[in-house]
Amino acid sequence: MATEDARYRQSSQFRLWSFSPSKLASMRETTNALARASISERLLASNSLPTSNNPSAPTSALNTPEPDGATPTPTPTLPEFLTPAEEVMLVTLYTSELLRAGEHMGLTDEITSTAAALFRRFYVTNSIMTYPPKDMIVVSLFFGCKAEGSFPSVDQFVKSLHKKGPEEILAGEFLLCQSVRFALDVKHPFRALKGATMELRRYGDIEQSRIEEAERHARDILRFSPHMTDAYFHYTPSQIMLAALSLADRGLAERLIQATFHYVAPSASNDSDTSMANSDIGSKEARREAKAGEDKAAIIGSYVRDKVLGTIEACRDMLSKELPDRKDHWSSPAVVKVQFRPTVRKLAKCHDPDRWDLVALQRRRREQVMDKADSEDGDPEARTGTAAAAKATVDSDAAVFGGALEPRDTKRRKVLDDPFGGPL
Amino acid sequence: MSRKAISNARGPASGSTTSAALPGLSSDDMCPVCKTIRYLNKDMEFLIHPDCYHFMCSNCVNRIFNDGPNQCPYAGCHRTLRRKGFRSPFFGDLTVEREVDIRRRVAAVFNQHEEDFKTLRDYNNYLQMVEDLTFELVSGTEAQRRSAEAQLQHWEAEHKADIERNRKAGREADEASHRRIAAEREAARQRRIDAIKEAEEEKLERARTREAELDTLASAPEGQRAGGVQLKRRVQVNRAVEAAAAANTGSGVPGAGAQPPIITKLSIQGLKEKRKPPAPEGPYDPFGGMDFVPSRYKLHDGLVHPDVDKYRFDWAHATGGYSFDDYTARAMFEAFAGLGVFIEDEKEVGIGLSASEVAAMSAGIAAVGDKMELD
Repeated sequence: MATEDARYRQSSQFRLWSFSPSKLASMRETTNALARASISERLLASNSLPTSNNPSAPTSALNTPEPDGATPTPTPTLPEFLTPAEEVMLVTLYTSELLRAGEHMGLTDEITSTAAALFRRFYVTNSIMTYPPKDMIVVSLFFGCKAEGSFPSVDQFVKSLHKKGPEEILAGEFLLCQSVRFALDVKHPFRALKGATMELRRYGDIEQSRIEEAERHARDILRFSPHMTDAYFHYTPSQIMLAALSLADRGLAERLIQATFHYVAPSASNDSDTSMANSDIGSKEARREAKAGEDKAAIIGSYVRDKVLGTIEACRDMLSKELPDRKDHWSSPAVVKVQFRPTVRKLAKCHDPDRWDLVALQRRRREQVMDKADSEDGDPEARTGTAAAAKATVDSDAAVFGGALEPRDTKRRKVLDDPFGGPL
Repeated sequence: MSRKAISNARGPASGSTTSAALPGLSSDDMCPVCKTIRYLNKDMEFLIHPDCYHFMCSNCVNRIFNDGPNQCPYAGCHRTLRRKGFRSPFFGDLTVEREVDIRRRVAAVFNQHEEDFKTLRDYNNYLQMVEDLTFELVSGTEAQRRSAEAQLQHWEAEHKADIERNRKAGREADEASHRRIAAEREAARQRRIDAIKEAEEEKLERARTREAELDTLASAPEGQRAGGVQLKRRVQVNRAVEAAAAANTGSGVPGAGAQPPIITKLSIQGLKEKRKPPAPEGPYDPFGGMDFVPSRYKLHDGLVHPDVDKYRFDWAHATGGYSFDDYTARAMFEAFAGLGVFIEDEKEVGIGLSASEVAAMSAGIAAVGDKMELD
């Protein structure tokens, strides 16, 4: 096994945030189903209150009627929820907005990419109906800066994004951190691209301008395409880099792969002949050589090369669906109006009533903690109402963080075993 | 030389000469009877008679006693001696010779064992009595010697049967112990011979095995594992030994000889498992044995990138100790790390399975995957 691969397998990106396509799809479905269940429960609970009844009452005729309408108010109906596919589409839409915001703020590629990756990771285990994506964009960008080692001031950040106050960013920070399971190191293909061009330059027989052109183009692709697709979940950075390079200049990428996986195992007959011819004593040497040859073939042999080529081809197909020239597509008002506006409207109706306001959520949690401390002091009567509400929120919190994917007890046990590494 | 004293010591009992010093075998090697010296007769041999312990040369003995018993030629010694009683003395000091003779005689008469007495005290008293008697015989006065002699003879006459029985028993015991000792010695000798024989056989066997190994190595095709051959050969030899042992032990069992012996490893049940000594720990490795030597690429010199190279002469970077080599190494590592990591395969079925297998199994895996998420 190649030492580089062994080292990559140690990374949190591989251990926690790499999935096969089917696994990712099923995770998204599970998240969606859980979000539907918890949101409809909460909507029904708040329907009993007169204030929160109103917004759900005038929903469109598409709404499914609630089976047993116990409340006297005009037929409390559940809104239509987003499907997993729609969720993915919206996440992609907001990722494109995030990328634009990063560009607007003049953040480096690494920071913007980290923010985008964190954003997408966040919405794998959390539904976009539960937490507001627009707020999470800012949180992700701010957190991306920190994860990449640059520490801007929150006020500066707020000002450049025209937000109301730092609370909006800080409220979601721990939420994001927790949801990405504290895997803050996102491995990007940018430096890998530099390494690849260094290697290409070393070959010496390729024109500098061609390499530079390809690198610039590939970097453009890497800035945009992997984040608009699920490439970060399905491929390693080097594979994404080679796919982008191959999109920019197919010849260069193939040259690099052929040069890397150059090992050709000497044919068996040839090998035995030579060793026979050598001497009797040479047998040990020959055996060791054969062993080394096997190892080499497993690392840089033709079989691995074909497999890598296949993987890169698949990645290339994925990236080619979202090439940088589709930036305009995602941002052009006409397209947005036709394609995304209806879904966004739908989201506005079916989002989680408790979680949508991150600042309020944060404040409520703080109060809960205070309440808990107070009730331990001994005046539970004064805050019975709020305490009950708080308890409800605690349970629902549990549903989102812990119970989102599996029963809470299991989760807790697994968390005890391995705070960061349990299964999603 | 107090011949006079000797001549006085005269008694009917045998060995009753005086305790006064007997003549030693003469230092000048001269026969006191014929005055012959060794110079004249190199083969001169002195003989004594246990009656009076007077020594004389063998020629004198022949000359005087050839015609039957005669008087001792020593002056004043009137004993009548026979030629038959003469013998060559064992000890040079004739006093000792005499005492030994007396003790031998007393021991032959008083031959009781400790087992014959009721208590140890009785036995000790008996030993004391015997010693007193012996002492009186050896170095007592004339009267004492005579009374002791009388006692001895009286005792001998009285306990004749007992003495005879004891003597027989003692002889048998002696013979038995002799036999036992001889048998033990014989057995030890046999063992020694066997051990030597075995060692020789082993040596021969080792030489044969070595010869065979060398032959095999010489004739083995190139590239075959020599170690394997040796191991195999040794196993064969061991098996042969085991088979022989099995044949020996299993011959009594009916039908055991018919089927080929099943060679199983000898195992003793109920033995405590020996705890293996812990493998020696090397120096602490903070990376847990991870290898940092690149296997897919080589870090060549002169790997440059214009975006990085422009900082090479930037004081802000150079002064801070920015390592361009490290950057190069990292960039190269990232370019090639994870190239052989196929997430779809590895996350579904584990590392090292081929894509075709994955494709074949994908449907089943997907179903299993759903279940795994739920629990």
